[in-house]
Amino acid sequence: MSSAQGSTLTEGGTDLDLQIGVLTSRPYKVVVWNDPVNLMSYVAWVFRSYFGHSREKAHQLMLQVHREGRSVVASGPREKAERDVTALHGYGLQATLEESE
Amino acid sequence: MARAFRATTRGYRADMESHERRLLSHLCADVITMLEARGEALNDAATEPQDSFAHFRRELAGLGADLDAGDEIPGVEPPEDAALALLLPDASTDPVEAAQFRRLSEASLRETKIADLRAARMALESEPVTLTEEQAPVFGRALNDVRLTLAARLNIDDEAAAERVHDMAGRGKAATTDEFMAELYTFTTWLQETLFSAMLDVMPEDE
Repeated sequence: MSSAQGSTLTEGGTDLDLQIGVLTSRPYKVVVWNDPVNLMSYVAWVFRSYFGHSREKAHQLMLQVHREGRSVVASGPREKAERDVTALHGYGLQATLEESE
Repeated sequence: MARAFRATTRGYRADMESHERRLLSHLCADVITMLEARGEALNDAATEPQDSFAHFRRELAGLGADLDAGDEIPGVEPPEDAALALLLPDASTDPVEAAQFRRLSEASLRETKIADLRAARMALESEPVTLTEEQAPVFGRALNDVRLTLAARLNIDDEAAAERVHDMAGRGKAATTDEFMAELYTFTTWLQETLFSAMLDVMPEDE
């Protein structure tokens, strides 16, 4: 994520073990990853307008993405998580789906 | 020189020179062309004749035990082009899961992006550029897609690279393609920043 000048790219963290074809009713997490292009103000705005997060919560999530490289921004049934990931891709954010432990 | 986006009583407004609007519209058109080409390439691959014989060939080869795995509908591979990979990201860190998800979702994601970019081109037809509350996020998404594309072309993959591009743009007269792209990147970044700052300002406080 970046300010108007850009910032760190913290790719990686592939330690998850997504099991394919297992119980689809298990809750899923929506993860947003840091990237050096998306603006901090834009990311915070997306979290507020799409998820309806409060100003404070959206800001915290945005900072977590920026500092820690990733943040879980939502969780729920697989179908909802899939919709969220696709919507975030529509906004140009790097988002993935992850099965909850 | 353009004046930044700001909130007005009738939405958001930015004053841009006609060459700036033309340039931005042209960039949107380039991204549309890339997305359309990706769709066509996938369609061509899906209709290649040898695919329909794959199952038959496996059976002939006596791979009966593997038929279950072979019957699995193949996923769609991520784009090789760096810009397209940013525009159409993997939905999972697991490549197989990502390919399956892509098969179901990439086409509609491409359509959404193309629609956003077309709407942005429409908005860029008039001076000043005026966006309603409904149009502003669409325009913002399109601007972001243009930024992602330029970032990939400029190899912005970390903070240091982003700063290099920022410095390159600050030098004034662009002599090379990279310097020109750096200026475009900085310009679209600035436009997007001012638009979303204005949008955040008027967003109702939390209930």
